[in-house]
Amino acid sequence: MTNIERTDRIDKLKLNDEQYFQSVIEQAYIVGLFSDKEIEKIQFDCFAFLAKLTERYNNGNSSSIRIETAQNILTSVMFTIGLCLKTYSSADEAAQALRDEKLEVLYQKGQKQIERKIHISKLIHSRITSNLFETPNVFYHASIVDSINGFFKLYRPDYFAHEINITADYSTCKPVNCTMGIEFIREYLEYLYYENDFCNHFQADNVHHLLCGYEDEYQNLLINIFEPVYISALGCILIHSDVYTLKLSCSDVKHLSRRLSGCSDIEFRHLLDSALEELITTLAISPKTAAYLNVCLEKVSIIIKNAISRNVPEKAFLILKYPEDTPEFKCSFSGKMDDELYRKVLQEVVACQTTEEKNQIIKKYIHSLADLEDIMLDAELSKTEMISVFQELTTGELAALAKKYDIYTKCSLSDMHSSEMRLYNCLNSYIAMLAPEQQSCVKEAAKIIRVIE
Amino acid sequence: MSFELTFFNDSSLIQRQAANEILKQNAVSSQFGLELTEQQALALVETRSLALKENGRIEFGGGVIDKLIYEFCDSPFISSVNYEQTLHDLIDIFYYYKNETIDLISDDELIKYMKKAYDGVCQGSLELLSGRELNRLARNLRFGELSDDSENSIDEEDDADDEY
Repeated sequence: MTNIERTDRIDKLKLNDEQYFQSVIEQAYIVGLFSDKEIEKIQFDCFAFLAKLTERYNNGNSSSIRIETAQNILTSVMFTIGLCLKTYSSADEAAQALRDEKLEVLYQKGQKQIERKIHISKLIHSRITSNLFETPNVFYHASIVDSINGFFKLYRPDYFAHEINITADYSTCKPVNCTMGIEFIREYLEYLYYENDFCNHFQADNVHHLLCGYEDEYQNLLINIFEPVYISALGCILIHSDVYTLKLSCSDVKHLSRRLSGCSDIEFRHLLDSALEELITTLAISPKTAAYLNVCLEKVSIIIKNAISRNVPEKAFLILKYPEDTPEFKCSFSGKMDDELYRKVLQEVVACQTTEEKNQIIKKYIHSLADLEDIMLDAELSKTEMISVFQELTTGELAALAKKYDIYTKCSLSDMHSSEMRLYNCLNSYIAMLAPEQQSCVKEAAKIIRVIE
Repeated sequence: MSFELTFFNDSSLIQRQAANEILKQNAVSSQFGLELTEQQALALVETRSLALKENGRIEFGGGVIDKLIYEFCDSPFISSVNYEQTLHDLIDIFYYYKNETIDLISDDELIKYMKKAYDGVCQGSLELLSGRELNRLARNLRFGELSDDSENSIDEEDDADDEY
């Protein structure tokens, strides 16, 4: 018996997932399913429906509306109808529906789809949050809990169904394909669910130490947590060590690098596939999460391959680090002098003509880092004057200032005032001017200093 | 295949429909000796289109010209000599202040406010209406400010109306 599968006239591959409604019309027109008149009718119906929605949006109080708002409502209408059209088994059937059904009916069906997606998204979200992986990384919690809650609060599917309203800073390992409205959130949450589920197979403490191996201050970095955990877990499997610990020593990493660099592309992929299979069995990972791990393996294998080819395998297979074991030096920025005295010193510094004079007064009267910082911010010292002050400081004092001003992490640049920014820039240039050994001394010292305000 | 809104206001069919709506208002305005020709009505629609474009707005349906005619045709400061020009100016002013009041006031409320100010404290001056009274209204709505130059303000006139 011959295959009687129906052939569609519209090529599915030519449709745009984001602008589905428009692309169905366009393709239907190209293959001759729609005439010029039918296209015009759809356009007219669309604008007529927009007028109706606009009136509702204005509560009947205004006959006009800002163009951006109207365009947004129109985009929302097209997005909503697009969602309805996606439920048809083929684009031809979707085009047929556009011809036969009233636009408003398709819109209402689309709204139902949105409701369903909101419901599912909320369900996934509550599952993630009820079992949220514990990490001090601020973006993890902020994006998964706060941002998504914000989305549900702000989302207005009736007029702005295509809007996301949040930035979703935290990126998932697999990029989200959909970029609009609830479709984006639904997919984003699904990926987050799998990543969170996978991370939950490990102790938060082990993951914390693993990520410290990436960067001490990873808490404030916008990094994907799942990726390094996944890679290290694969590494552990490959060297037959306890995967739950995520622990790889320097020699383990070297061994892995040697083993993997000697492989052909096919062998390399085969090794990773087998490791993943074993990982799934060992950790008893659920089938859906396992499928996600499978999808992400391509990206992960590229990361590993790149790190090995650049001869930095430890950038992929992180080595656990225990910052709590590192000695810590507390450095106080408190202990300011009397206000009256400070004012006098400041006046004197400002009144001085030469850099040397300014420097001498600062050396004579300033005895704490807090006062030093204040005087440098308040006295409006030039770059040369600031540098001459820095020259008088010890490595420890420079490191304390570097730590206070996040010279090495550059986290809070945007929150700085202009005077702080000047101090930051001068300090940065001064440190860059130092000999390489001195620079690394300052950097190492800054790592172990804890600033106390 | 465009779903852009820019062409919407320029559609000749929509312009003609709007002009017909305006001409229907002659039945009311003629009681006060004010009438518009078809050419004048089309010119008003053209002004509306430009005002909408300038203020980044779009209008569905009949628009506000009919409402402006209905409200202002009994003004003692409008005669057949300045009727058309006043309407052109009122249309411009209306859409400008629709934006300035960030849509916090309905069309009807804004038109009523304009009429009261125009006939009252502005004594037929469109400059005062736009530059002072509506500016004050917009400021009040946007920032909740109380005006400092309350002298001659429309609010005072309201109080006076209430008193007597």
